[in-house]
Amino acid sequence: MILRRTTLAGALALTRAEIADMFQYRVVLFLYSLWEVVHPIVYLAVWGAIAGEGEVGGLRLSDFAAYYLTFMLVSHVTAAIEIYTFGPMIQQGELSPHLLRPMNPVWVAAARNISYKSVSMLLLIPVWIGLVIILRPTFSITAGSALLFVVALVVAALLAFLVGTTFALLAFWTTRSFSFWEIWIGLTFLLGGQVAPVELLPGFVQNLATALPMRYTLGFPIEVLLNRLDAGELALGFVLQFAWLIAAALIVRTVWRAGIRQYSAVGA
Amino acid sequence: MRILRIVSAFLRAAILKETAYRAELVGNLVRSVINIGVAVGGLAVVFSHTSDLSGWRLEQAMVLLGVYYLVQGIVQTALSPSLNEVVSEVRKGTFDYVLLKPVPSLLLSSTRRFVVWHVADVMLGGAIIAIGLIRLEAQITVGIAAVFVGVMVGGVSIVFSIWLALTTLVFWFVRVENITMIFQLFFDTGRYPVEIYPFWLRQLLTFVFPVAFITTVPAQTITGREPLVAIWLAPLIGALALLAAARFWRIGLSRYTSASS
Repeated sequence: MILRRTTLAGALALTRAEIADMFQYRVVLFLYSLWEVVHPIVYLAVWGAIAGEGEVGGLRLSDFAAYYLTFMLVSHVTAAIEIYTFGPMIQQGELSPHLLRPMNPVWVAAARNISYKSVSMLLLIPVWIGLVIILRPTFSITAGSALLFVVALVVAALLAFLVGTTFALLAFWTTRSFSFWEIWIGLTFLLGGQVAPVELLPGFVQNLATALPMRYTLGFPIEVLLNRLDAGELALGFVLQFAWLIAAALIVRTVWRAGIRQYSAVGA
Repeated sequence: MRILRIVSAFLRAAILKETAYRAELVGNLVRSVINIGVAVGGLAVVFSHTSDLSGWRLEQAMVLLGVYYLVQGIVQTALSPSLNEVVSEVRKGTFDYVLLKPVPSLLLSSTRRFVVWHVADVMLGGAIIAIGLIRLEAQITVGIAAVFVGVMVGGVSIVFSIWLALTTLVFWFVRVENITMIFQLFFDTGRYPVEIYPFWLRQLLTFVFPVAFITTVPAQTITGREPLVAIWLAPLIGALALLAAARFWRIGLSRYTSASS
C-alpha cells in the first residue's frame, strides 16, 4: 500500500461522499453519541461515590470528572466502527465492486470512519460543553501535554482503526467475527482505562494493561493530556504505542492478503 | 385461558424454529460468559478501592448485576423480537395482517416471537444472583423470595411498558428502527445501584425513567438492604405503566393507515 497521489485524491473524494451520506442519519448518530456519554458518566458516578469529599489513589472527584470528560471525546475519536461498516461488506459480497477500483477497499472503511466521526462529533460537542458546565472538572493541562496529547490521540485513532479493520476482516473466514470483537471490547473496558483509569488498576493487572494494546487506543492519550504520567512512563508509553501501531499495520496487511485470496462473493 | 393457549403456541413454534440453530445457544452462552465475566471484573476493580459503594458490598452489587442480566435476557428473549417486528411491519404496511387476526393486536404484537437462545443471559444472571446470595450467606425465606418475584414482575412490566411506548411511536414517525436505543441508554445506568448517582440524576432514574425499580429495588429486596422506596411501589408502578402503555398503543393504533394509502 504505497501512498500515491491518486490514492489520496480518491480517499478525499470518498470521504466527502460519505460525509454527505452520513448527514441522512443524524438522529441515529446523535443517539450513538449519547451512548458514548452515558458509560463514562456511570463510571464517573461510581468513582465519585467512592471518593466523596476525599480522594481515591490520589484522584479527587474533579480529577475523575476531567478524566471521564476527556474520555468521552477520546473514545469518540478512537471509536472503531469497522465491524459494522466493513465486515458486512465482506459478508454480503458488496466488496466486489470496490475491488475493481484502483485503490484498496480499506480506504472505503477509512472514509466511512472519518465521516462518521466528523458528523457525530458536531452533535456531541454541545452535549459535552453542557456536561463540562455541570460537572466542573479540573483540567491540569500544559502546553506540552496538549501537544503530546495530539500525537497520542492520532496514533490511538490509527491503531484503533487498524484493530477494528483486522476484526472486520475476520469476516472472510467466519460469520462470527462479531463475537471476537466483543472479547476485544471487553478487554478494552477492563484494561483500556474505561472502568477505571489504568493507574487505579490493581498491581499486576496494571502491568498487563501497560503492556497490552488496549490502553493505547483509549486511556493513554487521556493520561498524557491530564499530566498523569512521569517522564519515564511517558517515554515507555509512546514507544509501546508506536510499536503496537506498526504491529497492527503489519497484521492488517497480512490478514487482508490472506483473506482476499480466498474471497468469493456471495452468489459467485 | 385462550390467551395462554395462544402464547404457548407461539412459544412452541419459536422453539421448533430455533432448534435449527442449536449452535446459537453455545455462541450466546460464550458471549454471555464473556460479558458477565468482564462486568464482574469491573466490580472487582471498583471494590479493590473500597468495601462500601454507597452502602453496597461487593456481593450485593453482584446480585444487582445478576438482576440486570436477568432482565436483559428477558428483554432479548421475549420483548424485543416481537416489538421490533411491529416497527418493520408498520413501515412496510404488512401490519394489516396482524389487525386482521381474531386476537387482540397488542397480544399478538408482543408475544409472536421468542428468540429462545437469549435465555443464556437469564441463566447466567440467575447464577450470579445465586453466587452473590451464597457469599452473603443470606437467609432467603419463602416470604422474601415471593416479594422478590413480585418486585421483579413489577420491574419487567416497567421495561415492557417503556419498550411498548417507544415502539408505539412508529405510528407517528414510521422510521424509528433505532428508537429503542433510548431504552438501552438509560438501562445501562442500572448496572450499578442508583444511590451512586448525584441527587438530580437519582430522582430522574427513580421517578421519570424508573431504572431504579428495574435493578436496584429487586436487588435490595433480596439482599435485605434498607429499601430505597416502599417495596409495594414497584408492582404498583409496573401495573400503572402497563395500563398507560396499553392506552398509548390504542391511540397509536387508531392512526395506522397501512402503506400507500
